[in-house]
Amino acid sequence: MSFLPAIRRQAALTARRSYATVSEAAGVKVVGIDSGVLPAATTSITVVVKAGARYETQPGIAHVLKNFAFKSTASGSALKTARETELYGGVLSAALGREHLFLTAEFLRGDENHFLDLLASVLSSTHYYPHEYAELVLPTIQSESISALASSSTIAMDAAHSIAFRRGLGNSLYASPHSPVSAADVKGFAQKAFAKSNIAVLGAGISTDALSKAVQSAFGSGSGGAALSGGSSQYFGGESRIASHDQPTMILAFGSAGEASADMKVLPHLLGGETAVKWSTGSSPLSQAAAKVTGASAKAFLMPYSDASLFGVVVTAPTSEGVASVAKEVAGLMKAGKGKDEEIKRAVAKAKFYEATLLERHESLIATAGAAIFSGNMPTPDSSFAALAKVSASSLEKASSELFKGKPTVIAVGDLAKLPYADELF
Amino acid sequence: MYKSLKPLANAYAHITGYRQHGLRYDDLIIEEREDVQKALTRLPQRESYDRVFRMKQAFQQSVLHRELPKDQWLKPEDDTRYLAPIIEQVAKEDSERAEWDSLVVEKKK
Repeated sequence: MSFLPAIRRQAALTARRSYATVSEAAGVKVVGIDSGVLPAATTSITVVVKAGARYETQPGIAHVLKNFAFKSTASGSALKTARETELYGGVLSAALGREHLFLTAEFLRGDENHFLDLLASVLSSTHYYPHEYAELVLPTIQSESISALASSSTIAMDAAHSIAFRRGLGNSLYASPHSPVSAADVKGFAQKAFAKSNIAVLGAGISTDALSKAVQSAFGSGSGGAALSGGSSQYFGGESRIASHDQPTMILAFGSAGEASADMKVLPHLLGGETAVKWSTGSSPLSQAAAKVTGASAKAFLMPYSDASLFGVVVTAPTSEGVASVAKEVAGLMKAGKGKDEEIKRAVAKAKFYEATLLERHESLIATAGAAIFSGNMPTPDSSFAALAKVSASSLEKASSELFKGKPTVIAVGDLAKLPYADELF
Repeated sequence: MYKSLKPLANAYAHITGYRQHGLRYDDLIIEEREDVQKALTRLPQRESYDRVFRMKQAFQQSVLHRELPKDQWLKPEDDTRYLAPIIEQVAKEDSERAEWDSLVVEKKK
């Protein structure tokens, strides 16, 4: 039993891991997460901006703003930004979600002043030149949109959001040529989006104190202003059918207003669809259903947002007939919405593991913590574990019957002659 | 200095005769250079259209060996440098790139 002390030491270290609290510097919310287990050699700083697709003033403008990040600013051209970052050995990236825009700089520990100055100048003094828009930004937007919409599941997920929530959360993540955006429009949107009340800074591998000091000096002279308002979300539901000769896909989803409850978080793990071991179809109801058609898959998902959530199943198969037969079975499973006690226990355990890993992996940490910063309290595994521990068969049944009472959102992408309609499924 | 040389400059611009063909000074800049080509793509749509119009008009007058009627001559106040600042911007970008390409990094002491 020589490995036991090692495990105990690991447990002690994990327990010591402190989740940072939100502090404020120069009117900007700041969180630094220093994992404490290993001395991190790299630091990443993310500016979380409440300027996702949801807050768009015109279609596609958030996507354009994302691609305008790290272009020329008052403190230097786009080329200077790129070359300096290379010399420092850093990586700059921008990502867009439905609620937030993330501008991230990853670099070696100790260079935080340079990179925070850079992020601050991107926020406050990007020029939004029309020629940069035409020469550098537009081609990337076009290729991003084309490559994203080449996949049926992305098209279906975009359609599912627009059918489920219509406006706000229903806005597409991708700019489209049907609604052109000019560089001047982006400049106006950026001024509103980058107001101090609308941004937060999240650091990993850096303490909150050190980050606060750096933020104070870099963001000291930013402008205050009103935050963008996205209105409140409402769930509608409905059906959309899109003809396509690519991989046929169906999404069957139900949504609800309000933040996702612990029961909602367990539901996708109860239905499952993913296998826990290699070379097996898995034992969850969805993977059993998908196993009946060769090459088919059915995966449950939960899209949690600040004031709404969308729960559903993505069904894909090599043929539209295959998708139709799996979708019928999946709809039956969703309607039943029940599970045996041991299945529920398994689902709760899986949900706990999933919630905990969300906060440990870098990419998911940014998305999860980024959303939580604005409310002022950081999520910890302990708090989500406590909520998940309360989930029982009865609470789950109540939550799912409540959820499935709503109008379903059904998206069919593929051969429309063969794919079923919503009223044939539910 | 400005006051004393300005009439001379005006007279020179008149003698060169491009305004009599309706052209602006920046229309005479040699186009067959990469930075000018790039600058031309950056012109606003309206400017770009007007430039082509002025050139067409000037070609026609040149074929006819005639100047425009005096009331259609380009007025001195309309003779703005619409292209030169953009060419300068492009040249600056080019030289900045060259600088970064030939950069020597020294270790901090």
